[in-house]
Amino acid sequence: MKTLIEITDLTYKYRSGGGNAVTALNGVTMQVYRGEILAITGQNGSGKSTLARHFNALLTPGSGEVIVDGLSVNDKKNTAAIRRIVGMVFQNPDNQLVSSVVEEDVAFGPENLGLPQAEIVKRVDWALKSLDLEAYRYRSPNSLSEGQKQLVAIAGVLAMKPKCIVLDEPTAHLDPKGKREVLENVQRLNRDEGITTVLLTHSMNEVVHCDRMIIMDQGLIKLTGAPRELFAQAEQIKALGLDLPAAAQLAYGLKLKGLTLPGNILTIEELVASLCQLP
Amino acid sequence: MYIGTSKLTHTYWPGTPFAADALKNISFSVGQGTFTLLIGPSGSGKTTLIQHLNGLLKPSAGEVYFDGKKIGPDKAALLALRRRVGLVFQMPEDQFFSETVFDEIAYAPRNLGLDEKKVEERVNRAVAQVGLERSRLLDRHPFQLSAGQKRRVAIASVLSLEPEVLILDEPAAGLDPEGKGNLLNLLSSLNRAGKITIMVSTHHLDEIAALADNLVVLNEGGLVMSGKTKEILARGAELKELGLALPQVTGIMHELAARGLPVSTDIYSLSAACDEILQAKRADQR
Repeated sequence: MKTLIEITDLTYKYRSGGGNAVTALNGVTMQVYRGEILAITGQNGSGKSTLARHFNALLTPGSGEVIVDGLSVNDKKNTAAIRRIVGMVFQNPDNQLVSSVVEEDVAFGPENLGLPQAEIVKRVDWALKSLDLEAYRYRSPNSLSEGQKQLVAIAGVLAMKPKCIVLDEPTAHLDPKGKREVLENVQRLNRDEGITTVLLTHSMNEVVHCDRMIIMDQGLIKLTGAPRELFAQAEQIKALGLDLPAAAQLAYGLKLKGLTLPGNILTIEELVASLCQLP
Repeated sequence: MYIGTSKLTHTYWPGTPFAADALKNISFSVGQGTFTLLIGPSGSGKTTLIQHLNGLLKPSAGEVYFDGKKIGPDKAALLALRRRVGLVFQMPEDQFFSETVFDEIAYAPRNLGLDEKKVEERVNRAVAQVGLERSRLLDRHPFQLSAGQKRRVAIASVLSLEPEVLILDEPAAGLDPEGKGNLLNLLSSLNRAGKITIMVSTHHLDEIAALADNLVVLNEGGLVMSGKTKEILARGAELKELGLALPQVTGIMHELAARGLPVSTDIYSLSAACDEILQAKRADQR
């Protein structure tokens, strides 16, 4: 089966302070495919996080259906199993670290699964090794950089051996070096361990490296496709309040001013190559 | 010296085994009406430094200056200072506590003891400055607003003090591209039209670099570079060494120049990059 998460006509409403219902998701149908890196983007308040919180049953549908690896989120009996399949990493690492020693923090998840001690040790070793954190094993997370702390949070999720990791703006608080560390590791886990990855982000430069992207607006999915396809539709992207990646944006500006360039420039390398080849 | 520090050192938990120097011997100053970016990797001391500039933290050693005078421990003077130097914290909307947007923005002027008519004038002026539609929003609960609107309400609630200096800690964090764009326009107009001295602490240079006159770079509590934006951004290799990145367009211009396209590399905004590339291509064709 190619699809890991299947969402059909999902609706979700929040109750606001005044007692009015605010529709956060308004009939969303989408899939997450096994082994892919999927980016979900859209303006603040477009419904990205609400949607992602359905992937591991943190929220249950107002109406519609969410099936994770064959299990329905609607059935409470599936919740524990679904949370083992889909792990979640949030924006601020300081809110997710629970222990004062890196190794213990990473062991927290597997311990809660009730695994035998030997298996826990094996998983912690593997998770720390996969994220290149072995040197920090006995350190306090507080003594690490923000990027490393976020990697510890990811290691904690990885130690649960999920099939899918959902990252909700994992780099928003990080400096450029931290961002690079986290993204490179996320890509490596996807490539080497085959972990299906869903990345919620505002950074179009992060989206460029994903297999597919979904753009949300006001609780609906507005566009789905490969980043290269979607970023070729510059006007539509801008109308949804989003940017193009820097190189694509520059190419778009140059074309508006009359320069002839290929239609689908996405990366800096492509832009530089085509500008330097032009007669 | 309009605002700045002289040999400022700050030690957290002094005299304990946990004593840590968050700032070491920092001296810098910026002029009135300027726009300054304070950059550095996380943990470099940016937030500690800006908390000294309006007297929230006291130096362990060294001095902090504002408007030619040393900031002292006198309580009345500190209060006056905080009216003139406004500080917008990181994720400021996390600290909202009022029932309506109006009350949130009116909190500071009410605390100044102004009468309600004057308070309303201040709120209206601040709301207009940040470009919020007052008729629609003032009666709403702050939590009902979008992230970009909340951030602007937070800035308005500091502007209602009518400060001469506005200091913002990572003001664009968590905003979507449109919200970010609006925020940059707002900061630029407060600085240019409103004549407010602005200082922004951030680890993302990108488009904001095009607004800045000066850059101050911190690393591990020390000041490593300080000067005109153009001079500092010409030192890309050193910035990279510190884990910082040049604005992406600047990176593109460097690549193009390296490949032989005759373009200038001190370019920090997409529109400037566009013009520069077109000019170079046209010169090429001639």
